Parts: sequence; structure tokens; C-alpha cells
Amino acid sequence: MRLLIDRLGDTAGELRTDEDSVEIQVSRDHIVDTLKLLRDEEDFGFFFLADAAAVDYGVGRHLEVVYHLYSDRHPAWLRIRVPVERSDPRAPSITGLWAGAMFHEREMYDMMGIVFEGNRDLRRIFMSPDYRSFPLRKDFLLPDDAADSPAAGVNPLERPETWDLSAFTRELTRAGATYAPTATAMDVPPDEVPQADDVADKSRPR
Amino acid sequence: MTAVDPETRIPDPIDLDRAEEERLRAAAGMGPAPASSGAGGEYAGFELVGVPDRPLQTEREVEMYTLEEGEMLVNMGPQHPSTHGVLRLVIKVRGEVVTDLDPVFGYLHRGIEKLCENATYTTVLTYVDPMDYLASMHNEHAPAIAFEKLYGIKAPPRAEYIRALVVELNRVFSHGLMIGFLALDMGGLTPILYSFINRDEVVELLASISGQRMLFNFFRVGGVNWDTNDEFLSRLGTWHANVRKTIGYNEKLITENEIFRGRTRGMGVLTPEQAIAYGVSGPNLRASGVPFDVRRAHPYSIYNELEFDVITQQSGDVYARYLQRIAEIKQSLHLIDQIMDKMPHGPVQAQVPGIIRPRPGRAYAAIESPRGLYSVYAISDGGQTPYRFRMRDPSFITLQVMPVLMPGHLIADTMAVMASLDPVMGGVDK
Repeated sequence: MRLLIDRLGDTAGELRTDEDSVEIQVSRDHIVDTLKLLRDEEDFGFFFLADAAAVDYGVGRHLEVVYHLYSDRHPAWLRIRVPVERSDPRAPSITGLWAGAMFHEREMYDMMGIVFEGNRDLRRIFMSPDYRSFPLRKDFLLPDDAADSPAAGVNPLERPETWDLSAFTRELTRAGATYAPTATAMDVPPDEVPQADDVADKSRPR
Repeated sequence: MTAVDPETRIPDPIDLDRAEEERLRAAAGMGPAPASSGAGGEYAGFELVGVPDRPLQTEREVEMYTLEEGEMLVNMGPQHPSTHGVLRLVIKVRGEVVTDLDPVFGYLHRGIEKLCENATYTTVLTYVDPMDYLASMHNEHAPAIAFEKLYGIKAPPRAEYIRALVVELNRVFSHGLMIGFLALDMGGLTPILYSFINRDEVVELLASISGQRMLFNFFRVGGVNWDTNDEFLSRLGTWHANVRKTIGYNEKLITENEIFRGRTRGMGVLTPEQAIAYGVSGPNLRASGVPFDVRRAHPYSIYNELEFDVITQQSGDVYARYLQRIAEIKQSLHLIDQIMDKMPHGPVQAQVPGIIRPRPGRAYAAIESPRGLYSVYAISDGGQTPYRFRMRDPSFITLQVMPVLMPGHLIADTMAVMASLDPVMGGVDK
């Protein structure tokens, strides 16, 4: 832990520990360099990417990419949290460090709508290619009475607000970014995007 | 040779389709259909069988679906019997040699993570069962540990021992089935029968302690559902007396088998560097010579009190992955012996309210499932449901190495390599 403070310095942000993990926060500008240092440096030896997950902290707050690393020289899992702006859901790809991050990043793109710059294969992985929403975001609600979720049958299942990622990726194309998905035939012009009231599931009483 | 009478001849369905298409086009005023491009004849358009009917989206997709002279796409699945679930493999071949491969899945996607975020902590443990349906006990183990960390309690010692016992029993039959399926995919029908005999005994054994045969729903936050009972112990004794013999049937049949060795040695070699880079874990990683076992690396439950070896193989091919499973079954039996010897008396469930509300916080719990590192990352916001519930399934990550392992091998070997990696699509698709 002292090693982390010494070597990472300011980029590590707030440092927390619990019973078997150490947690640091890194900004997305520094994440690739930090991970490379943690992987390649003899003192760290975090050679195995155990997990990469995305977390949504709700409307009006940020998204987050969370990496878990394993080292055979340290007795704790290392958790690295990378905050990502909801209005600008971009993060650098780490497929250059671990090729196995590919499916993790495809899943995060599919489920949370985070665009990983530099990923060669950023397409839907579970949902069909013409799907538009991001199901694990918190504003994608389940009309599920049994679980008594806040949706409870009156809110739309899919949120057209999240569909503007295509507009966002067009912006990326202009900036000359490495990842630029081509527009698909399924892209709906903005006028035809259904409004929230149209798609609301009003079939359930609440 | 008699001439076919056009009046009585049964019409070819393809001709009927073409006639119907012509009729519809004429009705719509579109003129005759354009002649199909390519070579024409019976196999016209055959090379385009797997190409998506939409513009290609990514660099990798363009690379995969752009064909050079002499290349062809072969579509395996989604309902190929030996793809271990509903997996579709698009294979690019030159003659009979695979040059590239694209796994397509999501057919079983149930959104379990989303469901779990809308379920109470206790209910989550029922939702995760059907993920990796050959290792349901392991699926429940990681969330149970994560929630106990969040809630700040520990399961009683006897509960931890029972957990380790059922988890190792589950590992025995899961590895046994992998061996059977591997032989089955390469044309040997007998081993799967022995595997299923053994599996059925273990499943009945687990049913006698949990009440269900496949989706056990046995773990609770802070313990397990039932203590051991007489039927379980008696079945365990009978099974344990015979298990080395029944495992031995398959071992004798396969290990020294000339055909099996000829088809599996040097096939699908995964180097240690590749395995680590692609996040492969569990027996597949250890078969490549990397001694990473979560039970040893981050001991959970009671594994720091038990004695076991982290076995590795050196060659990293299909045969090494098979040997690794055999060795791990024996290691699990060794663990079961120790667990039964050391099991303490006491309660099996800590005092936990029906609906638990942990303090806000995060917890990460990883376990060693038969397919590798299975981990759960749970975030609590103080409510009765987890705010975020993330599962890392090992077979999902392991599937990534298929495009790395396959180029240069024959189509017929795809299933051998696939079965040696032992993915379960219920876990891949979540």
C-alpha cells in the first residue's frame, strides 16, 4: 500500500482498503499508463486482469469503469475505479495491455454504452446489433411488480434519451478518433425517435 | 430411362420460390430479378452464408467477413449439438483449414445482472443458479461471500465446511462431464455414459442435501439452507467407495488411447503468455503451466485449512487440458476426504434477518469455479437490493481464445478445442 502511494503519487487519488482489497481512483487520462506500470513493474506484478466492470451511479451522476487486478506478490486484490462522464462516455481501451479485455469492453459498451477508444471490435455482444438502448444503465427500468422496483409498470422500458450515442460517435469521427462505427441502416432520424410517452408501458396498474 | 412427366412431377420448392418471387416482382412493377453475382450455379452465394445483413461495424468485423480468393464462411450453430449450448461459430475456411473464427452469442441472454439489481439479497442467490448450470453451487458461493462481506457477518464454521464439501462435489461432476463431452465431440460415445452415471450419483447426493437436482438454491447469506442428513451421508459413503473406480473407467478408456492422443496432442496449444493476456483462468490456465488457483491465491471459505496441490501441466494443448481435469478430480476427492474428517459440529446458519440491508459499500469476492475465476462485484447503497451486481463468468472470457487457437487446424478439430476449453453458454450469456 505504501508502495502504491510512493509510486503512483497523485494519480492514485483516494486510497481505501477493506478486508481483502485495496482501492484506488485514477482519471481516465492516466489509466493506461497506470495499468501498464502496475503490470510491468517488478514491485507490483499485477499480471492478471481479474475483472473489468462498469457501474452507473444514476441520472445526473457519473458512470464508472472498475478494474480488478491480481498479483502473486501482494495479498490483496487491487481495485481501480475510473470515473467517466455520463455526457461524454469515453474511456481508453486497454486491449493493448491485456487482449482479454476485449470481451469485457464489448460487454461494457453493450450494457452501459461506454465507448472504448482504440478497441478494434466495439460492437454489441449480447444484444442484437440493431438494439439501441443500454440495459444496465439505471434509467433503463424493469416493469417488475414482484421486485417492487421504482419502475413498477409506469415507466418506459427503453430510454430514447440514451440512444443519442450515435450522434456522439459521429462527433468522434470528426475528431479523427480511432474508433468510428459506421452508421447502420437501423439508425432512426431524430424526428422519428419515439417520445417517452409513446413507449411507456401502461398495461400494468400502479 | 423414362422421361419425367411434367404433369405428375413433384415441383422443386426452390423453383416454386423463384416463381413466386417473379410474380411478386411483376406485381410490384420491378422487372425480373437480377442474376446472382459470383460463380453462379448450385453454390451461388454460398460464400456469403455467414456475412451479417447490415453494414460491417468494426475493423475486426471487416477483417473477419472480407473473403480472399478461395476462402469461404461456414456457419456452425447456433443449434449445433456439440457447441455446449446456443453458440454460433462463424468459421472462415480455406479448403478445410480454418483461417479465422468469430464467436457470436447472446442467444441465452436473460439479463441476470439487471434482474439481480431488482431483487433482494436473498433472492439474488436463486437468480444466479441457472448461469453456469454445471456449477450452480459455485455460482451461489461467490455472491454469498460478497454479501457476507457487505453485511459484515461470517458463516459459522460448520456452514463453511458444508459449503466447501458441496462445492468440491460439484467440481467432481463438472470436470467429469467435461471429459465425457470432449470424447463425445471427437466421436467416442462411451465416456459420456460413464460421466453421466457419476454425475447422476453426485446430483442425487446434492439433491438429498439441498432438495433439488440441478438448480440447488442451497447457499444463504450467512450460511447454508440445510445441515447434512442421514440420506446424504449414506449416499456420500456409497458414492465415495465407488468413485475412484468409476472415474478410472474413463481414465483407462481415454488417457492411453492412441486415437485420442493422436487427435489431441499438439492441438490448440495455448502458451502461458497468451493465456494470461486473454484472461483465461482455472484448469485451462493451469494446463498451460501457470499455477494460479484462487483457492490458493486468495483463500476463501476454509481453503487455508486444507491441504491440496496446485497442479499444472506444461504443454497447454487439448491433451494437457484433459489431464488437468483428471488430476483436479483426484485433488477434489482428496479435499472431500479432509473436509469430512475435519467437519466441526455447530449451527449452519448465522442469525440474519429475512431482508438484509447492508451499509453502503463495495465488496469483491472471487472463487475458483470448475471453469476458472468466477467473481462477483457487489455495491450496496443501503437499500434492500444490491445497487450493482456484477458477475465475471470464466467461460465468457475463455471463449476469446478460440480465434487465437483455431487458425491452421481443421474444421473437425474445432469441436475438440472447443470442448477442451469447456465453456457453458448459460454462463457466457448471463
